[in-house]
Amino acid sequence: MRQVIYALVLGIGAHYYFFGWGVFLQIVLAVAVAIAVESTFLRIRKFPIKPAISDGSAILTAVLLAISIPSIAPWWLVVLGVSFAIVFGKQLYGGLGNNPFNPAMLGYGFLLISYPLQMSTWASEFLSLPQTLNVIFNSSPVDALSGATRLDTLKTQLALGKTTDEIELYSVAQMWINAGFLLGGLYLMIRQVIMWHIPTAFIMGVVVMASILSLSNHQFYIPPQNHLILGATMLGAFFIATDPISASTTPKGRLIYGFLIGVLVVIIRTFGGYPDGVAFAVLLMNIAVPLIDYYTQPRVFGQ
Amino acid sequence: MARHKFNGGIFIKNPYPIDKIKIVPAPLPSKVVLPLQQRIGEEAKPCVRVGERVFTGQIIAKTEDDFCVPIHASISGTVVAIDKQLTPHHSGLKSGCITIESDGKDEWIDTNFGINFLRSSKKTLIEHIQKSGIVGLGGAGFPTHTKLNNLKNCHTLIINGTECEPGISCDDALMQNYPQEVMRGIEILLHICGAKHVIIAIEDDKQVAFEALLKYLHNDKIKLQKIPTKYTSGAEKLLIKALLNIEIPSNSFAVEQGVLCQNVATTKAIFDAVELGRPLVSRIVTVTGSAVETVDNYTVRLGASFAHIVNLSKPNTNLHSVRMGGMMMGVDVDNLETMICKITNCIFVNNRQKPIKTQGCIRCGQCNLVCPVNLLPQQLYWYAKNENIDKSLDYNLLDCIECRCCDYVCPSHISLAAYFVFTKALHANKVKEQNKVNIARERFEYRKYRLARNKKEHAEMMAAKKAQLKQKMADDKTQKDKIAAAIERVKKNTKNNDDTSI
Repeated sequence: MRQVIYALVLGIGAHYYFFGWGVFLQIVLAVAVAIAVESTFLRIRKFPIKPAISDGSAILTAVLLAISIPSIAPWWLVVLGVSFAIVFGKQLYGGLGNNPFNPAMLGYGFLLISYPLQMSTWASEFLSLPQTLNVIFNSSPVDALSGATRLDTLKTQLALGKTTDEIELYSVAQMWINAGFLLGGLYLMIRQVIMWHIPTAFIMGVVVMASILSLSNHQFYIPPQNHLILGATMLGAFFIATDPISASTTPKGRLIYGFLIGVLVVIIRTFGGYPDGVAFAVLLMNIAVPLIDYYTQPRVFGQ
Repeated sequence: MARHKFNGGIFIKNPYPIDKIKIVPAPLPSKVVLPLQQRIGEEAKPCVRVGERVFTGQIIAKTEDDFCVPIHASISGTVVAIDKQLTPHHSGLKSGCITIESDGKDEWIDTNFGINFLRSSKKTLIEHIQKSGIVGLGGAGFPTHTKLNNLKNCHTLIINGTECEPGISCDDALMQNYPQEVMRGIEILLHICGAKHVIIAIEDDKQVAFEALLKYLHNDKIKLQKIPTKYTSGAEKLLIKALLNIEIPSNSFAVEQGVLCQNVATTKAIFDAVELGRPLVSRIVTVTGSAVETVDNYTVRLGASFAHIVNLSKPNTNLHSVRMGGMMMGVDVDNLETMICKITNCIFVNNRQKPIKTQGCIRCGQCNLVCPVNLLPQQLYWYAKNENIDKSLDYNLLDCIECRCCDYVCPSHISLAAYFVFTKALHANKVKEQNKVNIARERFEYRKYRLARNKKEHAEMMAAKKAQLKQKMADDKTQKDKIAAAIERVKKNTKNNDDTSI
């Protein structure tokens, strides 16, 4: 788990470079809440606290959720989200190893459904520390400094009847953040913390589905290369879909699982009402994991 | 090098390597304890009495069960006890043992029954091997004669010169010191099984043994082959897959598919039995571990205590944890007084360590990558932990070979294989119970059926009788008249009686 947190550094750095201090504040807040909630619950359940905290799983959940939500979201948003993720996503199922859903994404989904406005207001430029503190803790209006993400804007524009030729498809900031997570993910693969199946299949799924749509009508649908560098694609492929507990566990199953998440991400982004599709795609496929695992058992020696 | 391979398995470095492998003959033990229960099969019945004098190589217990081999005295001396003692087994239960106190003379029973194998029939040789008490010395202890008897259309004989687990060097030592005997043993086996090819499989880290055997290689049918030093290569079915690319079905044995697999130590034991007429009374045991000063191989009489040879390796004075067999599949034993038996290939004496804390399974899948039989231990664990036998069987519980590769790689330090062994036992128990229930139900249902049948038959019989009687009555005209007469008579009588009463 610790390795995974280290691998996130590049992506977080890129985030800081473009949008300022918010991401660090969210992470610190999220981790503090995660440790507090996890300890409380372990105490209630009469489980030893220290080994559970030191395995880093709660911290990882908190970090992943903190970098998924807007860096200028009000403080109570992350507190709510992390508490929900730890309590409902993990502890109520019996703690580490027993949760059928990815806790971070469960928290994210909960926040997105409950607070859609706060969840889709992102910083649009670099914010200094005092500015960020002000925005997060005083909820001061930030209209001048914020807006929807590029992906969100694209969707709105396309929905308004514009074609892909008329709108800006790129976002430098998003591209660099995705590149950061990609490099971090490759590091994890080299260190064999994660296996190649899920990320590769995930990206394949995104490319295949986006290509099909784009080839059918390139003016209405975002081209595949832009899908890869926008939104949470790389974060999802390398850090979120690869959560071993809620992912499929057979080699073949991992390919199916990753691929279908990729396909769902594009479908939700294109036809759904939410700014990004990674969280719901992952949660949907989490439900399908027992089925996938059952039907993709490898052939046992001698049978 | 072998051209094929099986999935999974792990490369483990020998934790206690030695430069020069030699065999140290251990002194005669003053007392031996010989368990009556072999690894599989029925418990043997003693055929000596307490106080009786026995010779080395004398049969002291045997059974009617053709699956089993007799038990020989491994020293000469006096039988001092026949009682229940602790044996090295996972169950930790006591089982019957014969204790012999040595007279120090090691007088053999007449052993001049060595036979010329080329002039003997297959049957004679197999019987002789059985009588000599030979079982697989690799660690499984499967009776050799049973393998030979069940052999069908043998095409390949495989001599397993792979050490079953890292850290053990008894087979390596044997090949280095007795290459000629091993080769002669192979000739005997070849004579019995009539295979077209023989492959001697040796791991690639055993160069000395390889060269030693190469010197005595004079038969074109026999081929020496190196295989990678990967753990679980020594498992019979996996070795066959690596050498011949044949996958033995999980419900079948290798011998049924025409492949005979024998360990090198077994081969040497066959040589001793056939050529020298000596039954199996000793074996080579590796003593290793973090708590001994010298790692060595000892030839020791069966039934001697662990301490007998461990002391020769100068153990330190710390608290020890003792393990029979390898670091992976071995059996933990309580103390060094346990006896050496035919399957004791190695004794690990380690400094006692604190057990590592286990964490929850995060389904990382490391275990399914190393599983040599392609199981999904992480899934199986989930069900085995909850004692869900049916679901565990669905995930092929019974194919688990208990190699513990999954335990070795588990980042959460879960003893996965222990759960599987336990669930297997639960399943065996359930099957037994189910069989009992089935028999009882069958009996009950048969009884019900029998009662119903009896009732029906009785009713049918009565009906038939009635019908017959009716028919008889109907057929017989005189009967009717007789009845009519009788009625008349009765009426008359009543009338008369009435008259008289008035």
